[in-house]
Amino acid sequence: MSVARVQRDVLSVEWVKLELIRTAYATRGGLFAGMDPRAVVGWYAAMALAPWFTHNLTTVACLFVVAAAAVVLARVGPLVLGLFVIGLVLELVYLALAATLFGGDLTAVVALLEVTAKLGVLSLASLAAFVSLDPEKLSDALLALRFPPAVAFAVSYGYRMMPILVEEFATVMEGYRLRQLPPQQRGLLGWRVVVHWAVVAVKAFYPIFLNTAKSVRTTVEALEARGFTFATIDPRGRAIRIGSLRLGPLDLAVLAVTAALVAGCYAAGAQWPLHRS
Amino acid sequence: MSTIETRERRGALRGIGSSQTSTPQNLMVFVLSMALFGLANIILEIIPDVTVGPVDVSVSYFVFVPLTLAALLNPFWAALGAPLGEIVFTDLLMGDFSGLAEIEGFIQMFLAIYVAGSLVRDPRSRPQIFLGAVVLVGVDKLLSAAVDIGKVWVGVEDAELVEGLPQSIVLLEGIGFGVDVVMSGILFGAIPAMWLIPALHGRIEPLLGMRPRVPGEPRPGSVPRTGWFVVVAVLAALVSFVFAFLEAWDLSVGTVDADFRDRFGDGFLWVAVGALVAVLAIASILFAVWRRRGDR
Repeated sequence: MSVARVQRDVLSVEWVKLELIRTAYATRGGLFAGMDPRAVVGWYAAMALAPWFTHNLTTVACLFVVAAAAVVLARVGPLVLGLFVIGLVLELVYLALAATLFGGDLTAVVALLEVTAKLGVLSLASLAAFVSLDPEKLSDALLALRFPPAVAFAVSYGYRMMPILVEEFATVMEGYRLRQLPPQQRGLLGWRVVVHWAVVAVKAFYPIFLNTAKSVRTTVEALEARGFTFATIDPRGRAIRIGSLRLGPLDLAVLAVTAALVAGCYAAGAQWPLHRS
Repeated sequence: MSTIETRERRGALRGIGSSQTSTPQNLMVFVLSMALFGLANIILEIIPDVTVGPVDVSVSYFVFVPLTLAALLNPFWAALGAPLGEIVFTDLLMGDFSGLAEIEGFIQMFLAIYVAGSLVRDPRSRPQIFLGAVVLVGVDKLLSAAVDIGKVWVGVEDAELVEGLPQSIVLLEGIGFGVDVVMSGILFGAIPAMWLIPALHGRIEPLLGMRPRVPGEPRPGSVPRTGWFVVVAVLAALVSFVFAFLEAWDLSVGTVDADFRDRFGDGFLWVAVGALVAVLAIASILFAVWRRRGDR
């Protein structure tokens, strides 16, 4: 992703914050938002594993189309999708350049194309699945799949707290910048500006460490007051939390259709095999 | 809460000097490490990656963040939280989740932070902090470089498809390793950590209801049976290699040549899967035994 990053890295802390809020909260409806989160995670696992059992280019291409269709059905926002496409294309160009640079020929590029397409299926599936799930549902699904409670908690905590933490960091950094003179000269390639920025960013971590420590203590004490650790030791606590999850006809239908489509992709691959020589 | 008050409260604070810290405190360190390392990774998303040819001259992570928590609070829980924070906060949230590679990264990062955090015995000693930061990046990057070189080695050994590829990969990995140690380990690791850890020592602990560490006291959160821990760590490293190879299997076999696959067949893949199953089985048996001993 190194090349793709350059595109969005020109942006600011503020932009990252907005992007995070958008990813975490802005569910636009769509197919997966109404589904049981366990089914969505299962769907993701199926789509993520499917491309790795074949070298058949036809199958991989079919799976890519299926994943792209899923992204359309999930109504992924144009911004996230745009970043993904730019990233994929640039990565491909970069890999091709690197391959030619090291004296490889076109076969290497085709090999890389295959791997990139497989990774693309993975990314598309994760876009479709995780953009549609809100944090509470995702954390319930993880709990239902017997992940450690700490991981389930981490996911929902991360989604909820990250925008706040980033905002706090941005505020602290603005404060530091207001209290300091900017570098007088830019230096070669603006290295003084870069150094100044880096020093401020690192210094801002001192108050952030203390603030976060305080807020984490409050969070953990509130959790423990409601019996976080001891509720997870007793299986009934878990049963209550995941009690609201129901597998509906829609979930079964989507899973069945996906299974059929994946099988169809493999059938198409068997029918018209296209291998790299 | 002023510093003077916290000093006076010190006697009432529960210690972190033994492995018997309370569960809520461990949870606090875990959540704090997760949140701060996640935040640091998001901040890093803003810094542009500079790529000189195939060598990535950029900061991989703010090493001083997990190192500070590991050195001041509890290396085990800090090491457990930090890579999870990276996965949850940046990879999952930013839509950059890469499946099996995340498990590999998690295990490597956990080992690196735990080892480095355990090295810092005195949070006010700057040489120890410097050593800790360099060791952290060293362990993490050495493991991943070994995995990368191994991938090419396994794949390319008998096929001379691209001449000089193994050498150039080893060279590139070496350069990349050096750059990472300088950029992530020293510039954005050791130097900030040498300032931040002594500055936070005695200030952050009371906020979590803990007593500041006294230099040289036994490791908080260190494993009671070191032998077991070493066994588990070696197993974890092996698992991370297996995951990396499973992931690379496709690329290395595909890129190299069909002959290789014909000769070894998909049997090689099954060897990897078998190794994974065996390692997991041994690990779970060990874990069960360990747990039963702990209960007694």
